[in-house]
Amino acid sequence: MTEYQSQELSLDGADASFLRRPARAVENAARDTTAESGEAGSVIRSKDFTLFYGKTIGVKDITMDIYARTVTAIIGPSGCGKSTFLRSINRMNDLIPNIRTEGFLTVNGQNVYDKRVNLVNLRQQVGMVFQKPNPFAKSIYDNVAYGPRLQGVHSRSELDSIVEECLHSAFLWDEVKDDLRKSALALSGGQQQRLCIARALATQPRALLMDEPCSALDPIATARIEELIAQLRNRYTIVIVTHNMQQAARVSEHTAFFCLGELIEYDLTSRFFTNPSNKQTEDYITGRFG
Amino acid sequence: MKFRIFPREFRDKCFTASCMFSVCLMVFILVVVLFPMMARGLKAVFFQGTNEFREMQLVVFGHGDAERIQRENGEIEEARAFVYEAANRFRRGIDTEHLADEVRGAYRDYGSYLRAAGISGERYSAQRARAKDLRDALLDAFESRDKEYVQSRLQCVLQSRADPDFGGTPIEAYFETAESYSRIAASVDLSRREQYAEAFGEVREALHKLFGPGPGEPAPALTMDQYGATRWDAVERELHRLLWSEDWVETEPGRPMVKETRARREFFAGTELEPVFDYVETNLEKLFQPRFTFYWRYFMDGSTDGHYFGGCGPEILGTLALTFFSMLFAIPLGIISAAFLVECTGDNIAVRVIRTCINTLAGVPSIVFGLFGMAFFVLFLFPVIGEFGHGTLGIFSAEAADKLTKPNILAASLTLGLLVLPVIIRASEEAIRAVPINYKEAALALGAGQFRSFMTVILPAAAPGIFTGIILSLSRAAGETAPILFTGAIAFGPVPDSILEPTRALSYGSYDIAVGDRLAMLVPHKQYGMVMTLVALVLTLNIIAIWIRSRSSRKLRGL
Repeated sequence: MTEYQSQELSLDGADASFLRRPARAVENAARDTTAESGEAGSVIRSKDFTLFYGKTIGVKDITMDIYARTVTAIIGPSGCGKSTFLRSINRMNDLIPNIRTEGFLTVNGQNVYDKRVNLVNLRQQVGMVFQKPNPFAKSIYDNVAYGPRLQGVHSRSELDSIVEECLHSAFLWDEVKDDLRKSALALSGGQQQRLCIARALATQPRALLMDEPCSALDPIATARIEELIAQLRNRYTIVIVTHNMQQAARVSEHTAFFCLGELIEYDLTSRFFTNPSNKQTEDYITGRFG
Repeated sequence: MKFRIFPREFRDKCFTASCMFSVCLMVFILVVVLFPMMARGLKAVFFQGTNEFREMQLVVFGHGDAERIQRENGEIEEARAFVYEAANRFRRGIDTEHLADEVRGAYRDYGSYLRAAGISGERYSAQRARAKDLRDALLDAFESRDKEYVQSRLQCVLQSRADPDFGGTPIEAYFETAESYSRIAASVDLSRREQYAEAFGEVREALHKLFGPGPGEPAPALTMDQYGATRWDAVERELHRLLWSEDWVETEPGRPMVKETRARREFFAGTELEPVFDYVETNLEKLFQPRFTFYWRYFMDGSTDGHYFGGCGPEILGTLALTFFSMLFAIPLGIISAAFLVECTGDNIAVRVIRTCINTLAGVPSIVFGLFGMAFFVLFLFPVIGEFGHGTLGIFSAEAADKLTKPNILAASLTLGLLVLPVIIRASEEAIRAVPINYKEAALALGAGQFRSFMTVILPAAAPGIFTGIILSLSRAAGETAPILFTGAIAFGPVPDSILEPTRALSYGSYDIAVGDRLAMLVPHKQYGMVMTLVALVLTLNIIAIWIRSRSSRKLRGL
């Protein structure tokens, strides 16, 4: 407890990146140093994190570290709080009235529920991909350029290069490069989801949260997204919530199992699916649950 | 199996039939309402215009071929001369006051003639006495209703015809008068003289309405009286009044009076006037030279006093200005209010009260807004602002401060804006609420603030719904009369040159004609024309708005 607190406070002073708006270059440099400082270092840490919807408990006493440049899968039955936890990381739960939190949830050492946190900077550093593809009703180009424009990038050439880079990263460039002015809504579901990933990448986040990104897609599109995740794992910290255990086993290095708002088991994926230490986990992954 | 399917099929068929029926009913009602209105409105633009119309256009508005109109007028003057001559002759028999005045005048002239000729003394008195006798004989003849007495008195006068004393003097006119009057008196039933005089007054009025002021008459003060029937429908209406007299007669005591229509031709039978009726009826084309007219300037011309002639140009401009400024006020305010209600507040009691108030306001009768606008803007707020701006700050001129105390476009636009504000707020609120939360989440997750996410993502997605509200309120603002009644509309007046002037408006113009004294009867084409223009204008504005809406919604669907 004291360790977290002291770390949080010290980092607050040292690198208060959420509290002010860092220039893009500075931010890049900061990311690079973080990357250099240790591959296995945890980017997102949660300690006794509890979230209440009014009087109902959403998630309870979650303590887990999510490691940099790995893919962490969160599985669990519906209503177990995995999405709630995921959305707590970049405070998307703020849209819901009457939420209250206890404990600590830190991103790069900063408590995201600190009152001084600049939500805009937090969300630019922790990108998110949603269950249903939700591109804006704008052109493909404008969708990807939305984040950089918010960060104050307006130069045409710079935007062009960001868009191209992000679409490349999301394996979408070859499919849309001739028609960047086309409405994003004219794309297929799988393409839309990859566009959403490209859009999230365009703000140069440190971490990417994916909330069941494949549940609205067909198997082929799902395979492409999984392929994409595999490519991105070297550069980003990815947290993915999924209902599909095979998917979790395929894409992730770490897997966490949530049940009724609590973290039941969190381990390396290889161990998690072959040798679960918890009875509940075993029941769930073997299909005997509930 | 069949028994189970039958009722369901039957129900489906009934449902389809009732849907079809209500759609047909709606279309029918629309056609029944719109079609006659449009048909009548088009008469303001397409009609048979007479030469009076062309002359009026030339004189009042300066359009038309002056030479041709003059040539035609010459022909028409010739054709009309017969009518005027006959009327004049008849008038001399009936309107003996006029003749008596002439005779008295001639007698006075004779006196001065004698003095000028240097005749004096006894001869002068004797001559005057003889002239006086003649005069009195004539005056007796004019006043009498007994045919024989009249003729005997006139004979007395005519006996002195050979008298050389009167040759070349003003008295000589007496003989001509006596002769013509003897002819008139022989043909006219003198005992009915009063009735003739009254009926002749009506005939003259009808002729005036048909032909405008007769030759030699002074030009009337009002523009509406300076021209005759400018349109063929007016010609037919006035012709009916010329040919037929309508009287209310009591058939039996205590019963309602009955309208009795009688042909004037029979009433005036045997008089000088009799041929006039046939002449006018058969030569109508020659008398008016009607021609098919496409009066496209109806949409540009101003109108003369009383809406009699001209078009509705200033009204169109005024309606557009009022609609534009009211929308300028209502759209931003409405969208901002809706955004506040959806985005910035939870669902607490204050918001619910505000929402209820807005819904109530949407149903408040427009006259209430009109009275509020007058009391608040015209009588209270603007004078205070004007006084403050002029007296305290010195940024307004005295003229502007004065204009602020009177009804003006600004006050009317604000009142109209208030009227449509609830509609816009409600539609925008629904539209903004209907934007999927996905969109907002996506924007927020990319680091957009509340304002940015609203402006760049939510507002474009809500645009089609907001446009629906704007379309509804646009039509309402353009067509409402009551809110502008006391706040900025006038029936006549110049085209305003600033928003601090009052303006004409299509809705108020047609209202003014409808409540005007007999106006709706005399110029129905103008009233329907304004209504048609208003409907067409609103339709055009709506088509533009619908086009924009469909564009934005197609963009949202990714087409």
